Order: sequence, then structure tokens, then C-alpha cells
Amino acid sequence: MNIALILLFVAIGAYAVAVLEGWSTYGRLSLSRPAVAAIALLGRESLLARKSDRLFFEVGPVLLLIAGLLAIAVIPLAPDLIITDLATGALFLNAALAYVLVALIMAGWGPDGAYGMIAGWRFLGQFIAYAMLIVMPITAVAMRAESLISTQIVISQVEMWNIVYQPLGFVLFVIAAMGVTYLPPFDLPLGDLAGGVEAEYTGSRLAVLRLGRMVVILSLAGAIVIFYLGGWLGPWLPGWAWSVIKIFAVMAAMLFAGRYMPRIREARYLALSWKLGIPLALANIFIVGVITLVVPI
Amino acid sequence: MTASVFFLAFFGIAAVWFGIVVFRTHSMVRSALALLFAQTAIGAMFLVMQAEFLGVLQIMMMATEMSVMAIFMVMFMMDPGGLGAMEMTHQKRLSVWAGAIGLVGAAAIVGLADWGLAGSGGQVPSAGRQVELLGLELLGRSMFVFESAGLTILTAMVAATMVAITPPLKGGKNGT
Repeated sequence: MNIALILLFVAIGAYAVAVLEGWSTYGRLSLSRPAVAAIALLGRESLLARKSDRLFFEVGPVLLLIAGLLAIAVIPLAPDLIITDLATGALFLNAALAYVLVALIMAGWGPDGAYGMIAGWRFLGQFIAYAMLIVMPITAVAMRAESLISTQIVISQVEMWNIVYQPLGFVLFVIAAMGVTYLPPFDLPLGDLAGGVEAEYTGSRLAVLRLGRMVVILSLAGAIVIFYLGGWLGPWLPGWAWSVIKIFAVMAAMLFAGRYMPRIREARYLALSWKLGIPLALANIFIVGVITLVVPI
Repeated sequence: MTASVFFLAFFGIAAVWFGIVVFRTHSMVRSALALLFAQTAIGAMFLVMQAEFLGVLQIMMMATEMSVMAIFMVMFMMDPGGLGAMEMTHQKRLSVWAGAIGLVGAAAIVGLADWGLAGSGGQVPSAGRQVELLGLELLGRSMFVFESAGLTILTAMVAATMVAITPPLKGGKNGT
């Protein structure tokens, strides 16, 4: 039952991502555009690049979708509305998101084309920038909750949401999340280079690749909500409604915010993340540690 | 035969198979990703054996490590983008001997070791308790070992990278 409900949420959420992304890109809200685009994609011929690595080419998009779905498996919408409440939930989320990288490398390298390949490797460069900024803020969140269990992390925020408790971690995590989902201004893997990783994909394979990315965006929005915005906590409405409202709001913010910034080269992203981001993340861990021990909130 | 034994065997065979693929392929990228999936299969074996934290950690670490290894290989070899073909084996006689001795050693450990709780079919601590015990271990008795291992690996990585790159020549000409 839980699985069915969460899959329904994923379906609606992924469609909402597509609608919002269309709105932010074209400046006009259209509820039917993604459906029309999907039908068009599915009806189109799915070309196979010459001399492609067939295995990588086929597995890449599917692996991206699976990575997103696995990440969503540990995100609770309500205290008992979760697919699996693992003892290592926060770590599992990381593990699932690591395969976004593997999927994009496979999808980029598989077709034996220059654009896709360079875009795939660029995403790896981007990964080295954001990886630590995903893990370290989550460490601070788990420190406060004294648990890696995702429902426990939400419950730890009853008194005060983590966005107030550790704002530094929140900012770093959101920037890293934009990197994972290769949203603007970090959309170098897709941005220039004739569509990047998507360059050689057409038809139904491209549809799966894009769907996978929407699910990954949804899972990251869910992660931000349970780690920093108190998950299902909130007055009047039932828990699941709060979760859905917050996730959709975060998603919209992620999709719109980056449009107004210039695209960032992965070398610059790397320099900023390692020289500024990681020291700040370590400071965040230290501050949270001191607060947790000295002033129990 | 129980389900867990079946899955353990399945992932074990998958790990060995991907390990063979590492050397049979002629592409650095395929080789690196085959190694990744061999390690992921070992992570899945940990999960089957109810070592949840170790399994998830293995699956997470290997995805990033093997991908980074792939790009380092591609960067430092004469093979733009890793699209070319090259032999994945070298020093064959030595490797065969090392592999055979390793196999005999592993088989001896399987036969001779005292498996304690796992061998007698005793109760495994719950996943939550395992995380707790692991934390106490890492920040207690094993702290010094882990910290020094981490520092050693970091030093080795920095040193290996510095050895591998040619510094630019003086006078503005780029190194080759």
C-alpha cells in the first residue's frame, strides 16, 4: 500500500517537475506540455548510434531512474508513509545518489560520441565538487538526530527545524543538490555541447533519461525537506499534505532560482567547493557539535 | 537451501564474473565500471549477510571511487576519453602465481577460521545496534588505526598525482 501511494506521489511529482521546468524555461505555464512532449518522444524513432557500447547505452538511462527511485525509498511523507525505514537511511540516500554519477558516465560514454562523452566526464568533475557538500551537511543533521534513520531525523526537528538550527549546512546542501540534479547554473553536463549527455539519445530512451532526472530532482527536494524543513511537521493539515506542499515548494525554488545566474564552469565550481565549501561544512559540523552538547534543543 | 544462501551465491558469482570482465575487456572505462559492479555485488553480499551499514557503505564508496579511478586512468593514459582499446593485463606469470596463492590462502581461512556467532547461526545484532557498535568501535579502540590509514591514503594520492604530472617548463613553455 505504501509503495503504491509513494509511486503515485512520484508520478505526480515527476510531472510537476516537468511542468515547472517548462514554465521556468519558456516563461509560460502549460499543464499539457510535458504530456504532449512525452507522447511525441515515445512516437519518435529511437536511434542507435553507430559503434555504440550497447550495454552502457541501454543501462545508463534506466540506472538513472533506478537511482532516483531508490533515493525516494527512504524519504518519509508521513511517520508511517515510507517504503523502507532503514537503520542507515541517510547513508542509503547518499549511496543511491552516487549512482546518478555512474548512470551519467555510462550514458555519456556509451554512444561513442564526443559531445556525450565530454559531458559525462564533466559531470564527474562536477561530482568531485559537490560530493563532500552532500555528505558533510548530512553528517551534521545525523549528529543532531543521533540517528541515521530518516524518520528519526524528522522527529529531531520537532522543537526547531534544522534550517534555523544549522543554516550553513542548509545553504551548502542546497547548492550541492543543484549540482547533483545538474540544474542551472550547474547544468554544464546538459547545457552547451549540443545537449551534452542527451546528445545521442532519441525517442523512448531519451524519455527514460529525462524521466530519471525528474525523479532525481524530486528525491533531492524530498531530502532537503526531511533534513532541513521538518518533513511532515506542521499545524492543521495532515502530515503527508505538509510533506507534499514543502517538497513542491522546494522543487519550484530549485527550478527557478538558477535561471537568473550565469552557468558555472566545473573548474570554478570545484575551486569554490573545495576552498570555501568544505571548510564551511567542517565549521558547520563543529558548530552543530558544540550546540548539541552545550544547549540541548 | 534458503533464500539468503541463494542470493549470497548469486551475488558472489556476479562479483567473480565482473572481476573476470575487468581483465577480458580492452577498454579502461569498461574495465573500471566492471570493477565497480564487482564491488557493488560484494556490497549486496554484505546486505544479504545482514551487515546493513557495511553493505550500504561499500555500495556508496565504490560508485564514487571507481568513477574517479576511471577518470584518472583516462587523464593520465594516452587514450583520449577512454575510447581507444588497450590490453588490460600485464606481468601475467607473476599475476597467476599471486592469484593462485591468494585463492589458497582464502580457502585456508574459510576452513580454519573460528566463525564465532556467524558459524553457529547465532543472533546478529539489529541494524540500528550495528551502526551504534560500529561508531563506538571507530571512535574508540580503532580510532588511531583509521585516522592514520586515512592520512596515509591522502598522502599517497597527492604524491601519486604529483609524480604523474609533468611540471610546466620554465620560460612559459608547457610541459608535455
